[in-house]
Amino acid sequence: MTYTISPLPHAKSKESVKSVMWGTVAALIPITIAAIYLFGLPALKIILATVIAAVVAEIIIYKAASQPIKIDDGNAVLVGLLLALLMPPSVSEHLWVPIIGAVFAIAVAKYIFGGTGTLVFHPALVGFAFLLAAWPTFMGAASTPNLGSFSDILLETGAGRLVEASPALVLLGGAIVLYKKYVDRRVALSATVLLILLILISGKGWQLPYVLTGGYFLGLIFLAADPITSPVTKKGRLIYGILLAVLILIQLHFGAYFTGMCFAVLMMNVFSPLIDRSTIPKPIGGK
Amino acid sequence: MKIATIKTPDQVTIPLQQHAGEVCNPVVGVGDIVSVGQLIGDGTSMIHSSVSGEVTAISELPHPAGKDVLSVVIKTHDGEKKDFKPADLSASKMSRIIMDSGIVEPNGLPTVYKKVDIDTIIINGTNTGDLSSNAALMLDHPYEIVYGLKALMKSVGAKKATIVIELDSEALHVMRTETIPDRNIKIVATPAYYPAGTENTLAKKFARKKVPRGSTPEDRGVIVSSIGAMKALYDAVHDGIPMIKKTVTVAGAVRSPGNVLVELGTSIKDVIDKCGGCSGTPVKLVMNGAISGAAQYSDEVPVIKTTTGILVQTESDINREPPAPCINCAWCVDECPIGLLPHLLYGYADSAQFDKCAELYIGDCVECGMCAYVCPSKLPLVQIIRYGKHGVAEMDREIVEAEA
Repeated sequence: MTYTISPLPHAKSKESVKSVMWGTVAALIPITIAAIYLFGLPALKIILATVIAAVVAEIIIYKAASQPIKIDDGNAVLVGLLLALLMPPSVSEHLWVPIIGAVFAIAVAKYIFGGTGTLVFHPALVGFAFLLAAWPTFMGAASTPNLGSFSDILLETGAGRLVEASPALVLLGGAIVLYKKYVDRRVALSATVLLILLILISGKGWQLPYVLTGGYFLGLIFLAADPITSPVTKKGRLIYGILLAVLILIQLHFGAYFTGMCFAVLMMNVFSPLIDRSTIPKPIGGK
Repeated sequence: MKIATIKTPDQVTIPLQQHAGEVCNPVVGVGDIVSVGQLIGDGTSMIHSSVSGEVTAISELPHPAGKDVLSVVIKTHDGEKKDFKPADLSASKMSRIIMDSGIVEPNGLPTVYKKVDIDTIIINGTNTGDLSSNAALMLDHPYEIVYGLKALMKSVGAKKATIVIELDSEALHVMRTETIPDRNIKIVATPAYYPAGTENTLAKKFARKKVPRGSTPEDRGVIVSSIGAMKALYDAVHDGIPMIKKTVTVAGAVRSPGNVLVELGTSIKDVIDKCGGCSGTPVKLVMNGAISGAAQYSDEVPVIKTTTGILVQTESDINREPPAPCINCAWCVDECPIGLLPHLLYGYADSAQFDKCAELYIGDCVECGMCAYVCPSKLPLVQIIRYGKHGVAEMDREIVEAEA
């Protein structure tokens, strides 16, 4: 009788990279449906365009690099979907714009930086920033959420971008991924608490509803706390959230409330390795 | 009765290394007739025969640690019994009794091995994963365990003792009832968590004594011991029986899993057979728990003093998923009981950057296996970290040689 020999552990948890990625995609389904409900066909067109473009781009890159095609890990779908949610519905008249964004996100932000796990900037945000810089006229939102009222939480009538369709549903998806630990809790918690405090201290209480918009929830939970680009040390994740809140507040001051969130996260991505390196924990009992 | 006893096997294989330390010297020869409890190995620890019978061989045989170790094979004779004399309990003699009876903790060290002032004793009564021998022992032998604990407290001069038990364990009530008259023995209920068995974390959590790196709880006046050792202590002090039996949990794909009292040296094949045999085709035999146990290459390996459980796994229990790249999810960082960065250690060790491994305290890793358990990328973290430790040791040796 021969037995299998392996190093420990002899049991492994059910969660895998695949379940994390697809689980995050599933958590985004409610807001995706809300966006399609609110904006109709244009939203559907954008979502399909970015997701398909991202997947096709990834397949081509795998082929070109003669690597086994591992598209089923769901990362390309997730990046495509996140990018689509950042778009205004009007961009569907120029579908090539989000397609280029998705290809750019996968090819440049993901693969040039070494693929899943080693990338520095969140691919969806890089795609968004690239489009914003290249074709600002197509990327502008037609309207902004009603910051003054708390009534539009379930279905935001002033939504200018897909993700803003329903803050409550983004939060629902966020709660799922936070509960399943697919993204980190420390970043979301420290950033939200500090941001609310900072807004109150700076005497701009009217900006407070900003922390109840879909853009904020998505940026914080799905983009900033994303495991690949956020720090890994426990202290580092708190610091990351705190600095993120400060950056968001600065952007808010200049009225860049949606793009501000995105650029704040991109900027913080730069600091992630530095934060990690300067917050290496001491092992238990260490001085 | 939670613990089943099994029939003494026809033959036992008793390795002369069942502790942390050098292999013992055999003090019997082939052809000798030995009786239960007779000393057969002497050295850094004592090894006794668990059966009465005839020594048929002394040779290198498979050992649970994955290598061949000098072992004494004894063919069992029926009948002969030995009268054990209770040891007289005087304070200074305890470490002598522990030594003479060959009592070792699950980590292979004797319960008391340093001469220091002890203030608190912590008994780890928690169970990890598929192992439940601690709970079974407490349910079956509460009196004996408390007796052993009191003997230990008296001998080392400890004023307080804490028994740590999980919140949902049936043993909680039994042990509380047993210790009502003793105000200095405290029962602490804790939520189930793993790995509870890291001595330094237990000392910090339950005795509020921070143990510096590189020290043991003894240096701070704390002894961290186990339920099994308390029972063995009772046997040694009350009845004069050395450590020759062990309660092990048999789990996984066996027909009647549970806790069984086994003579040391019984092969795991015999233990599994006595538990009804395997249900399904066994593919992997694991000793001491699914997460931090060791896979065995043979079912001939014997149960030794540090054995706590035998797990039989079938093909469906084994995850053969190929590893994917690390996604920096930091789940390993959140789980590490020592506060290390396992994914970074993995990365540096995998690319042979051993100096970086040393900077990140690779030597502090206790190899509990929790990082590799939660890893969504299914990386073989423990294996590579062990390689890293080896690399760091090599590097240090080269530095010493270069300076000499």
